Amino acid sequence: MNLRNLSILRERLTQRILPKNPTLVQWWGRDRESTARVVSVTLVMCLAVGIRVWGLNQIGFNTDEAVYSGQAAAIAQIPVLRDIFPVFRAHPLLFQFLLALLFNFGVSDLAARLLAVAIGVAAVFIVYRLGSLLYGEYTGILAALILAVMPYHVVVSRQVLLDGPMVLCSTLTLYLVARYALTGNPIWLHAAGIGMGLTFLAKETGLILIGSVYSFFALSRDIPVRLQDLMISFALMVLMILPFPISLWLAGGSKVGQQYLIWQLFRRPNHDWDFYLRMVPGQIGILVIILAIAGIFLLWKERTWRERLLIWWVVVPVIFFQIWPTKGYQYLLPIAPPLTILASRTLIRWFWIELPALGKKRISTTWIRALVGGILIVTLLSASWQTIQPATTGDFVAGTGGVPGGREAGEWIQKNIPSQATLLTIGPSMANILEFYGHRKAFGMSVSPNPLHRNPAYEPVNNPDSQIRSNNIQYLIWDSYSAGRSSFFSERLLQLAARFNGRVVHTQTVTVTLEDGTKVDKPVIIIYSVYP
Amino acid sequence: MKNLKLFASLSLFLCVVAPTLGVTKVSASQSGTAPNTPIEHFIVVMQQNHTFDNYFGTYPGANGLPKDVCIPASLANDKESCVAPYKITNEPISDLSHSDVIFGKQFQNGKMNGFVDALNNLNQNGSLSMGYYNDQDIPFYWNLADEYVLFDNYFSSAHTGSITNRMFWVSGKAGAEFNRIPEGGFGDIPTIFDKLQEREISWKFYIRNYDPSLNYRKLNELDFLPPQIQWVPLLSFDRFLDDPELSNRIVDLSEYYKDLQNGTLPAVSYVLLLGATEHPISDPGLGEKVTQTMIQSLMQSDSWNNSAFFLTYDDWGGWYDHVAPPQIDERGYGFRVPSILVSPYARKGHIDHTLLDHTSILKFIEENWSIPPLAERDAEANNFTSAFDFSGSPRSPVFISSTREEPAPRIEPRRIVIYAAYGAAMLFAFMILARAAMVKEGLKRSPYESTLPEDVKP
Repeated sequence: MNLRNLSILRERLTQRILPKNPTLVQWWGRDRESTARVVSVTLVMCLAVGIRVWGLNQIGFNTDEAVYSGQAAAIAQIPVLRDIFPVFRAHPLLFQFLLALLFNFGVSDLAARLLAVAIGVAAVFIVYRLGSLLYGEYTGILAALILAVMPYHVVVSRQVLLDGPMVLCSTLTLYLVARYALTGNPIWLHAAGIGMGLTFLAKETGLILIGSVYSFFALSRDIPVRLQDLMISFALMVLMILPFPISLWLAGGSKVGQQYLIWQLFRRPNHDWDFYLRMVPGQIGILVIILAIAGIFLLWKERTWRERLLIWWVVVPVIFFQIWPTKGYQYLLPIAPPLTILASRTLIRWFWIELPALGKKRISTTWIRALVGGILIVTLLSASWQTIQPATTGDFVAGTGGVPGGREAGEWIQKNIPSQATLLTIGPSMANILEFYGHRKAFGMSVSPNPLHRNPAYEPVNNPDSQIRSNNIQYLIWDSYSAGRSSFFSERLLQLAARFNGRVVHTQTVTVTLEDGTKVDKPVIIIYSVYP
Repeated sequence: MKNLKLFASLSLFLCVVAPTLGVTKVSASQSGTAPNTPIEHFIVVMQQNHTFDNYFGTYPGANGLPKDVCIPASLANDKESCVAPYKITNEPISDLSHSDVIFGKQFQNGKMNGFVDALNNLNQNGSLSMGYYNDQDIPFYWNLADEYVLFDNYFSSAHTGSITNRMFWVSGKAGAEFNRIPEGGFGDIPTIFDKLQEREISWKFYIRNYDPSLNYRKLNELDFLPPQIQWVPLLSFDRFLDDPELSNRIVDLSEYYKDLQNGTLPAVSYVLLLGATEHPISDPGLGEKVTQTMIQSLMQSDSWNNSAFFLTYDDWGGWYDHVAPPQIDERGYGFRVPSILVSPYARKGHIDHTLLDHTSILKFIEENWSIPPLAERDAEANNFTSAFDFSGSPRSPVFISSTREEPAPRIEPRRIVIYAAYGAAMLFAFMILARAAMVKEGLKRSPYESTLPEDVKP
């Protein structure tokens, strides 16, 4: 098939799927409509890029970003970092592999984040394509716009996290499944297998979306699937997943993968049961969720397999991660694209209000939809804008962005602390950041000596007192973020500093705004030199 | 009126110009203390009782233990077996005799074959003198040598014990009595510290676990010679005990760390690590640990970039060394002792063969701070400037490991596998998706618009 055939196919699909909104279509000519569509999509994409790169590198990496970038640096054999960060840790290495290609030209936190942004913007584009495929161009464009400004997606896709790439791949898979459902052509089901494999390679937790695919096909009699095609699709998925075990096995890291799996299975919950309920709805947008749910009922007569597919794509991850003991801010990101499409559908397709009192008379909802849509976009944009501003409170929630002061403290360490010096931090989070920026080995004091209670990638310090006495640890690092989470280890660290002649050699401050609006420099990281 | 103007001018001169002159004078005085090299802080730690071969006899590239050397167990009986150097393991060691008499018997007028016999004749375990340590026993020192400068031609100044050697260290002279503290102290023998004091060049003598009440005047009350008095010659000089300007500079080692932190490290620092001097039968590891702490603290401080840290040993302690020491006068040299220089300007992994002794330390101080020689010995001594390279910028500090063990063989991941596996996966995915995108197809199921009931269409 050549490009001409491809454009014919696209045109045919567009002709058949494009909503025939008579008022718009009549007003716009065919070319003007096409131009308007291109302009709209371009504007949405520009908005998506703009809000994701605004002040992108004002604050340095958080712990997860430091770990993934460190892994990429280890793959790219960057001196010093390759000795500090292990190549194999917990997850498959698709994103780290791409980062490593980038790091071969030099390690840069900005470049790493720009790659994450590019992936995030690509996800926005796929949402546009998916929305268009399922419900027409307007729904697609609006869904892309919602995702472009949604704080949840904006925040995550500005960071070097695996969830951004995973959501890109999972949304691509959703698109391919939808394409199969629409065309019946098994090639799309096979491609969906590839998409699911990529989703796994980005982050293994994406595999739970198989549950969504299964539930969708199992409960959709109108979308028949041949067993043979399912098998091929499954085989392709397995083929795609193979680089993970193969590289673990052939490249010498299989033990790490096993240890991590065991730890994940038996680890204690890291958050309360209502963590997602507290954190996620506001970040997705309460209005988005309301519109998505309301649309199901308001447009009940229009229900097709499309909503089933989208709903399963939301329900399965929500149930799984609610039950799974390990909870993370960004884990539910795969549900954002289907929710935006469902919400957009409501805004685009809810034409009439029908009330029994009105008899057969229907009230147009155009103004209501325009108003709600406007409020939705403005509130999301405003929330995103606030979220991407540097933190002014000195507090920090993992996964929500960079750690203020971490990069600066790390760079100070790299410049001022002797090579081969060893640091002791309160917890492993700050240790990761300082290792990445400081190029010095750092241990987290709160890492449990019990292998069942610690991430296998972390190394415990069994007796920090003895390590300092033996000259093996020369610097203690106190930070307000870790201290806020563990006052016990914070106090222990300060005790050690007092016991071993601790002297403050550097204090990293960030400017925070107090309740009365005054700005003060708050010490967030304090570096002590110690000697026995 | 004229007088008033004159008075005003004079006042102005006194207020503005005179203080400037004062400053100029002080500046000139300070410039006189400026060193002739980038080394502004010189720290010397003198440990105890080991020979070069005893510590570094097996160090690669150094003038260490000769192959096939075997020292006769008895010089009187040729048929008796000989003792080859051996690695000290778990056997107990003892404080071997190391007087000037023993030196002569071990030295054998340069034959260097009396080490075992001399001690055996004293009913000591002479074979022990042939024992040596290696990198597993003193890993930190070996690592220091790898990174900085090891001297393999450095001799103790006197062929006797600590007191005389340490007198050479501070004064370039042996003192009035050989290896004894005279009853009235060392009198008015000038020391390097007198010269530094005269020139307002800062100095301190740091003593670990310093007891200020212990000095040579206490010897009458004691029936033993406390190590602090024996190993700190200044505590046997009246002026260093009575003049607060001098005595205040003899301080506890804890001051060293404070001085580093406060940026008040003096130009010249002498150090005695009492309780960690490595004097047999104590564990060399203890001295290593304290030395490591001192060096790490120096590296952590702002003083590092302009400092030199010199580690040496006062005498041979009865241990074997294969190099016959040149006899330049009736006092010495004694056998070789280990010495290491640590400095940001020290050559990396360099073994220096310059003929040196304890008075070379004085030589360095004198030449660095433009001080005339104290005595004949230091005037004649070689400097160890060949161990420095002042042409470049100072080396960044690197904490030296205290373990010699090779790090556990780290499983280096085969990165090519990662690149190949993930690259192939990406390529494969691209091919399949491109293939799918190019398929000519129709819609099996209806597009959304046509599925809608008529009554919901706008």
